[in-house]
Amino acid sequence: MDVIMKTSKAILTALLLLCWIQPGNAQSIVFKQFTLKNGLRVILSEDHTAPTYSVAVTYNVGSRDEQKGKTGFAHLFEHMMFQGSENVGKGEHMIIVENNGGEANGNTTNDRTAYFETLPSNQIDLGLYIEADRMRSLVINQANLDNQRQTVQEERRERYDNQPYGKTFEAVIDLAFDNFAYKHSTIGSMEDLDRGTVKDAADFFRTYYAPNNAVLTMVGDFNTDEALAKIKKYFEDIPRQTPPPAPNMTEPKQTAERRKTIEDPLADADEIDIVFKIPPGNTPDWYALSVAGLVLSQGTSSRLYLELVKDKRLVQGISADAEEKRGPSLFWISATLNPDKDPKEVEKLIYDNLERLKREPITDLELEKVRMLVRRAGVEQLQSTQGRATNLGESTVFYNDPNLVNTWPDKYLAVTKGRIQEVARKYFIPSNRTVVTTIPKETPEPAGRGGR
Amino acid sequence: MRAHIRLKLAISVLLATASLVSAQQQPGNQVDLKNRAPVSKEILKVKLPRATEATLSNGLTVLIIEDHRLPLVSIQYSIGGSGPIFEPANMVGLARITAQMMTEGTRTRSSLKVSEDIERLGAALSVSSSYGSTVSVLSASGLSDNFDKWFELANDVLLNPTFPANELDRRKQQLSVALRQQRTSAEFLMSERFSRAIYGDHPAGNVTTNQGTVDALTPAILSKWHADRYAPQNTILGIAGDVKPAELVPKLERLLAGWRKTELKEALPPNPKPATSRKVYLVDRPDSVQTSIVMGNIAIDRRDPDYFVMVALNQVLGGGGAGRLFKNLREEKGYTYGAYSSFSARKFPGPWNASAEVRTEVTDGALTEFVKELQRMRDQPVAERELDDAKRAIVASFALSLENPDDLVNYALTRKIYDLPEDYWDAYPAKLMAVTALDIQRVARKYIDPQTMQIIAVGDGSRIRTVLDKYGTVERYDVQGKKLAN
Repeated sequence: MDVIMKTSKAILTALLLLCWIQPGNAQSIVFKQFTLKNGLRVILSEDHTAPTYSVAVTYNVGSRDEQKGKTGFAHLFEHMMFQGSENVGKGEHMIIVENNGGEANGNTTNDRTAYFETLPSNQIDLGLYIEADRMRSLVINQANLDNQRQTVQEERRERYDNQPYGKTFEAVIDLAFDNFAYKHSTIGSMEDLDRGTVKDAADFFRTYYAPNNAVLTMVGDFNTDEALAKIKKYFEDIPRQTPPPAPNMTEPKQTAERRKTIEDPLADADEIDIVFKIPPGNTPDWYALSVAGLVLSQGTSSRLYLELVKDKRLVQGISADAEEKRGPSLFWISATLNPDKDPKEVEKLIYDNLERLKREPITDLELEKVRMLVRRAGVEQLQSTQGRATNLGESTVFYNDPNLVNTWPDKYLAVTKGRIQEVARKYFIPSNRTVVTTIPKETPEPAGRGGR
Repeated sequence: MRAHIRLKLAISVLLATASLVSAQQQPGNQVDLKNRAPVSKEILKVKLPRATEATLSNGLTVLIIEDHRLPLVSIQYSIGGSGPIFEPANMVGLARITAQMMTEGTRTRSSLKVSEDIERLGAALSVSSSYGSTVSVLSASGLSDNFDKWFELANDVLLNPTFPANELDRRKQQLSVALRQQRTSAEFLMSERFSRAIYGDHPAGNVTTNQGTVDALTPAILSKWHADRYAPQNTILGIAGDVKPAELVPKLERLLAGWRKTELKEALPPNPKPATSRKVYLVDRPDSVQTSIVMGNIAIDRRDPDYFVMVALNQVLGGGGAGRLFKNLREEKGYTYGAYSSFSARKFPGPWNASAEVRTEVTDGALTEFVKELQRMRDQPVAERELDDAKRAIVASFALSLENPDDLVNYALTRKIYDLPEDYWDAYPAKLMAVTALDIQRVARKYIDPQTMQIIAVGDGSRIRTVLDKYGTVERYDVQGKKLAN
């Protein structure tokens, strides 16, 4: 029951479950698509290589749909989905899956909310039944809401408020974005979490958790016809609802650099975060920017690692990558400095590297490394049924294109050296930039965290 | 403060229960099993594939899981006798730093060349050695159509590392920063204090190197550790994926012919002893908004006859979302994002532990519930249904491991490392299903003892000190790991 705040360089390994098509050894994800009478989209992909299956239900709702004063609600609601429905008791969902050898969880991003189960293939009915029961008849009451509000507030403390640099992420998106949709975090603020009411939850459920606002994907050891019959049996009589309004994702063009410095009492060294606004995921410019990120910081022979970590010893670690969002995304560069190093010097060297991307094409070796990484990621993503199920769902909800699971490697491979220079020139410009520096806050405690 | 609730008639069906429930009573907060979802009573029987096994002439053991579903291969060398458990007391960190430095240069490749070659092949390669472990592990993975190339590179790193002085110098600087940086993490502080409290002077109590060792390390010291400790007769090579054992084993003989057998045997230090009286350790982290809590004590090793009982016990107590700790502290009390138990059983006895991160205000409530749940494991036999569910959860989950050949080779490695019987995994389900409620109570009474366990709390001392005093004698530490006067 996670919040996924920031897609990362792991994008190639975590994001897509896709397939690399090799000459003479075509391996792709073969699937069939259906739409039930109530609008629920169903995508089924048989794979009998292991006695398991995964089902995922991806709802077209994320924190981008939240209103001011109600941040964190999409994720809080995700927790409510484990609190019981007509025929599944409070907390029983996770327990019943676990007790039958399976795994279940859910997570919320800016752009969607996904739930999934992986089970042995003799338990096909179980996974479908419990997903259908909560789509049909979730129990929403004050006790459950209060209890999960507390759990989510603990999640926020554990992952953000009690961690060094835990608040930097929110400072960056708040400064970079003007449109509220991505300006606020998925975990939400403590105050807003306190505001969510039972009525909010009930309205949210009816509007966004309707079958016509969801995609059910299933991958693994089952027969498509039989599975479809079961899905119809369990899901088809759940009533459709008026489709929710599409959120306004318009982001005004940024006209000047934005800068801010924040203090962090839990941090021990400076961190610098530099973001540029870039187009949505799965666009030609986005793929070119994603490749630029890989060249800059993927692996120990990447440019920023070699220069800033190894040669100049300025930073402890550095990452640069294109976040994938359905709406305006960010190219995010983040570096934690070594003690007594100057953030200005680090910032300048990062900009020098961005200028180099504009000035000269990347090398043949760099392009080859990206191609091999894409190729391997494409094959590796075929191992897990859960990954395939969630990626099919996400590709459908985001882009209405389930077959993206088979085509994304080609989209990476289509990126040319010239395109990388073009996107670098277009997006890596000062007026499109937001810079946040996080510095340790000195505490007056005599037994403070020493050293500084 | 919570906004007041406005009910709307139109959604009264969904809200019917809400109007009956007040937030003060919270009667709905019990986990509730309706048992109406359609479940197949049968446990899907799966047979884990046995690995092809071979011993090379230099004594290296090879385990291969042949799996041609995808054009992928992964390998791992588990190098016994080279882990941190065998480090001299004045060189804590030597094993781990040696492992990390192995990719920084070989006789024929610079550090940069190692990185470039591995990335140009689309492969991954790392060497690691975890604190508390008897082994170091070299892992590599990649596509099967260029397996020969990346496997050669992996073997170069394994056998010919040179530990260049400039690279070590850079790593030492990184380590010095990391030694400081890790002290900002509540999780690190918890694990540091817990390991020391549990293991005392046993080398498994170490979780980090120190500045003295970092300063003292030289390329010669690392080279010597590698030359002395990386020996084929103590090593197991696990391979999973798109390979043919009949062709691969002769190839391994050729590739690894230069790696000579030595006289080195694993010699473990004396076993750690369980603590006999309860003690509370407070790590004072003034800006904490949560208290990170862990408690436990030394229990069993991997070959202990009570291993299966402990697996079932842990599943009931806190193995996951179905565990008592999760149900109680998260689902019912709302104290935490997650509360779990686990245990560590290796070649020497390791601890059981139970842990959670809770908001500062409920530190007392959380400790009370932990103690209550631990005591309950001792006082009452587990109900039949709960025990059946726990055993079923474990046995049925074997099916999921068939998706990933790496999981399968890990089963084979575990069997070999701990010298378990040939049919160990075949017999596992039956042995687990044979565990009874009385077995669990007996083992809980033997090991899960709230009276002798060690309790660690990392948090804001000014707000939790008096709470902790209720649970025993408190020793206080700062975030630097220094013991403070009470």
